[in-house]
Amino acid sequence: MRIRSLLGLALSGLLIAVGASAAPAADKDTLVIVLDTLGAQVMDPIMDTRAPHAHYHAPVWDSLVGFDLEKGGIGPGVAERWELAADGKSWTFHLRKGQRFHNGDPLTAHDVKFSLERVMSPESISSGAAALKRAVDRIEVVDDLTVRVHTRGVIPQFAASLSRAVFMEGSVMPKKYIETVGAKGFREKPIGSGPWKFVRSVPGDRIEYEAVTYLHWRGTPQFKRLTLLLVPEQSTRLAMVRTGEAAIGSIGPEAVKEARAGGMKIVSVPGTMQAVYQFWGLYRPEAKASPLNDVRVREALSLAIDRQQIIDHVMGKEARWPMPFASFRYSSDMTIARWDDWSRTALRYDPARAKQLLAEAGHGGGLRFTFWNTALPGTPFMVPIGEAVAGFWEKVGVKVEMKTVEWGAFDPMGRGEQKGLVGAASMYRTAGRPEPIPRYAGAFVSTGVQHLFGDPQNCPALCQDADKAYEAVVAERNDAKRTAATDRMIELVAKSWIAVPILEGMGTWAVNPKAVGFFKPIPGRHEFGDVTERMPRPEQRPWP
Amino acid sequence: MQRYILRRVVQSVALLFVLALIIFALARVSGNPADLLLREDATQEDRAHLLRVLGLDRPVHEQLYLFLAGALRGDLGESIRYRKPAVEVFFERLPNTLKLLPLAMVGALVIAIPLGVLAAVYRGTFVDRASGAIAVLGLATPSFWLGIVLIYIFSIKLGVLPSSRMGGPSHYVLPAITLGLFLVAGMMRLVRSSLLEVMGSEFVKLARIKGLSQTVVIWKHCLSNALIPVTTLFGVYFALLITGAIVTETVFAWPGVGRLTYEAVIFRDYPMLQAVILLKAILVLGVNLSVDILYAYLDPRVRYA
Repeated sequence: MRIRSLLGLALSGLLIAVGASAAPAADKDTLVIVLDTLGAQVMDPIMDTRAPHAHYHAPVWDSLVGFDLEKGGIGPGVAERWELAADGKSWTFHLRKGQRFHNGDPLTAHDVKFSLERVMSPESISSGAAALKRAVDRIEVVDDLTVRVHTRGVIPQFAASLSRAVFMEGSVMPKKYIETVGAKGFREKPIGSGPWKFVRSVPGDRIEYEAVTYLHWRGTPQFKRLTLLLVPEQSTRLAMVRTGEAAIGSIGPEAVKEARAGGMKIVSVPGTMQAVYQFWGLYRPEAKASPLNDVRVREALSLAIDRQQIIDHVMGKEARWPMPFASFRYSSDMTIARWDDWSRTALRYDPARAKQLLAEAGHGGGLRFTFWNTALPGTPFMVPIGEAVAGFWEKVGVKVEMKTVEWGAFDPMGRGEQKGLVGAASMYRTAGRPEPIPRYAGAFVSTGVQHLFGDPQNCPALCQDADKAYEAVVAERNDAKRTAATDRMIELVAKSWIAVPILEGMGTWAVNPKAVGFFKPIPGRHEFGDVTERMPRPEQRPWP
Repeated sequence: MQRYILRRVVQSVALLFVLALIIFALARVSGNPADLLLREDATQEDRAHLLRVLGLDRPVHEQLYLFLAGALRGDLGESIRYRKPAVEVFFERLPNTLKLLPLAMVGALVIAIPLGVLAAVYRGTFVDRASGAIAVLGLATPSFWLGIVLIYIFSIKLGVLPSSRMGGPSHYVLPAITLGLFLVAGMMRLVRSSLLEVMGSEFVKLARIKGLSQTVVIWKHCLSNALIPVTTLFGVYFALLITGAIVTETVFAWPGVGRLTYEAVIFRDYPMLQAVILLKAILVLGVNLSVDILYAYLDPRVRYA
C-alpha cells in the first residue's frame, strides 16, 4: 500500500511536471486502426508495390473489379459486370452509373482508361506494371460507362488481376484532376471515388481520412473519421487496442492468446496465405544424384509432418488445414470438394509410412540436405514453422542443415540460375488469391521465375507436362473445361511433391469491442482497406 | 589559428568523402531494394522495369558518380520507399527526435548527478553499492523490455499515460524514461569517478582547512569541476542518440530519425540510408570540429601540436 502511494505520488509529480492528462481514448466518431506497416505511405496507386498499400489506398480508391465479400475472390467493383469477347482477346467492362470522385467529377470510362495507362507508364513502380503492359494491347472507351481492353492473346485471368483480391493495379484515378494538378499535386492532395476522403498523411506516423456523406456503393462509413496509425511493435499495438486508444490492431498468431486474455475480440481472416516448402533445381544435372530426386523420398517428407501440431502449437490454432499448392477454399477454376478430400488424406501425418517409403527408396538409414528457412515480409511465423518441419523430419531420420536467412537475402537466390539453391529445400509462402493458375505459372512453368520443374534449356518430362498443362488452362475459355484443365495442373504438381503445402495461414486482428461493432473480413484479404466502410459502431452491432 | 581551423575543415571534408564511399558500398552489399518491393511471383521483366525506374540498372560506378555529384549539390537522392528527396524526409523526422532527446537527457542528468555524488561521498558503503546496482540495472535492462513493462503498468494497469505515439506532454513521459534510464547508468558512474578524483585535489583540502562545510565543498567546489567530463559525454550521447534511439522509437511508435534509419536498412532504401548516415556524420563532425576549435582557442598547445 505504501509502495503504491509512493508510486502514485512520484507519478503525480511527473504528470504535473509535464502537464499531462490520462491516457486518451480515441473519440467515438473516429475509427482508429493500428498497423505494423504503412508500406511506402505514398498516396498514389502507382507508387507502392506491395500489399500494404491495400490498407491505406483502398479507403480512397475504388478498384475496377471488386470482391465477393462473403466467399472471397472477385466480384463487382467500379465495373458492375464484365464480359470476355468471343475470340477471347478483349474484355468489356460496364461501369456503375452515378459514381463520382471526391471533388464531384463523375467517374467515367475515360478515367478507367487513363488509370490503366498510368499504371503502365514509365514512372510507375507498381509491381504489376510490366505484367499489365505485357497483357494489354490497347484500351478503347466505348461510351462514358463502357470500356474495352484488348489483350495480347487470350488471358482468362485478366479481369481478376484488376481486383484487389488479386493485385492492386485496378485502382481508378481521376483523369481530369491529375491532368490539372499534376502527379505531385495529386500525391499531396489525392482524391478518389472511395468511401473515405483523404485528409492528411504524416510520414512514418499516420494517415487520416474523412467519411463521404453520400451513399456509396461499397457502403457509407458509420464513423465520421478513419485514422490508420503505424505502430511497428506488436506489444504496443495490443496495448493501444486494450486501452481504447485504437479500435483494431494487426497482430500475429502468437499474440492471439494474450489478446483474448486482455478482453479483446479476435478477427481471423481465412486463407490469407499458404506456408509451403519446396525443392529447387532437382532437374539440373548437378542434382541428379540427390536422394530428393526420388518421389518416394519427397512424399515421405510430407507424411513425416504433423500439420495439426504445427497449426495448434506454432500458430496457436489460428491456421487451417491446407488445400493443394496455392489453392484455397474460395479459389475459382478448380474442384474444391475434390481437392479438400485429397488434402485431408494425402497430407496426413503418417510417420510409419514415411519410414517405409524412405526404406523402399534406399534411405532407411536417413539422409541429409540443406533447408533454407526464411520468412516473407509480414509472415515472421514462417521461421518457427520451418523449424517445426525440420524437427518432424528428424524424427524419421532425415537431418537438414538449416540456414535461416532474412527474406531480402534469400529472394535473389531464387532468381536466374538459382545456383545456391540447387538440390536444396526452402520455406516459401504463397499469398491468398482466388485463381491458383498464375502462381503455378511462376513456380512450375519452364519460363516462370522459379521454374522448379525445369527451364527452357533443360526441360525434362515433368517440366514439359507442366508447360502443356498450363497452356491448356490459359487457352481454355469454357469455364467447365478450364476447371478440368486446372485440376490436371494441380494434380501434376501435387503428385510431384516438389512444392508441398504445410498449412493455410490466417490474418489475425485484435479488436476492442467497445470501440467498434461486429464485422466480417473478406476471406483471403488480410488488409482491411476494403472493410472499414462496413465496420459498425459498437452499439449498432455488438459482438456475440 | 586560421591555419589550424582550415586544416581541420579539410580533414573533415576528406573524412566525409571516405565515409560516403563506405556507406555507398555497404548499403549495396546488404541486398537490392527491388527484392523487397516486388511481389514474390514477379517476373524478370517486372524486376528489370523496377530497377530501371529506380535508376539501379546503371553500372555501379555511374551510380556512385551520381551520388557524389548530387551530394556536392546537397542532393542525396530520392528515397526509394517514400519517393521524396531523402534530405527532406530526414528533416521531417529530425524534429520529432529532437523533441524527445532533451527531455530524456535532462531527466537522466537530474537522476545521475545526485546518485553519482552520493556514491562518491559514501564510497564503499551501502549507498555506493546500491548506486552501482542501479547503474548495472540501467545498462543491463533492455530498453525494449523496459518500454513494454512501462506501457503495461502505466497505460494498461493504471491507465494514466498513453501507451505510445507523439502527442501532448503526457506522451513524452514513458519514452523519455525508457531512453533516460539507459543514460543514467553511464553518467552516474562518470560523475562518481570524476568526483572522487576531484575530491582528492589540493584545492579541496584547502577548502576543508578553511572550514567550509561538506555540502559547500562537494556541491559547489568539487561538482563544478567533476562535471566537465560529464558534459563531454552528454554531447557524445546526444549525437549518438539522434539516430541511436531506434528501440525506444520503435516500441513507442515515435516517428523519429532512429526509426527512419531502421526502416531504411530493412527496406534497402539506399538513398535514405546514405542520407541518414551522411547527415548524422556531418552533425557529429560539426560538433567535433567546434569542440576542437574551442580547445585550440583555450589551449595554444593544441594548435601548435
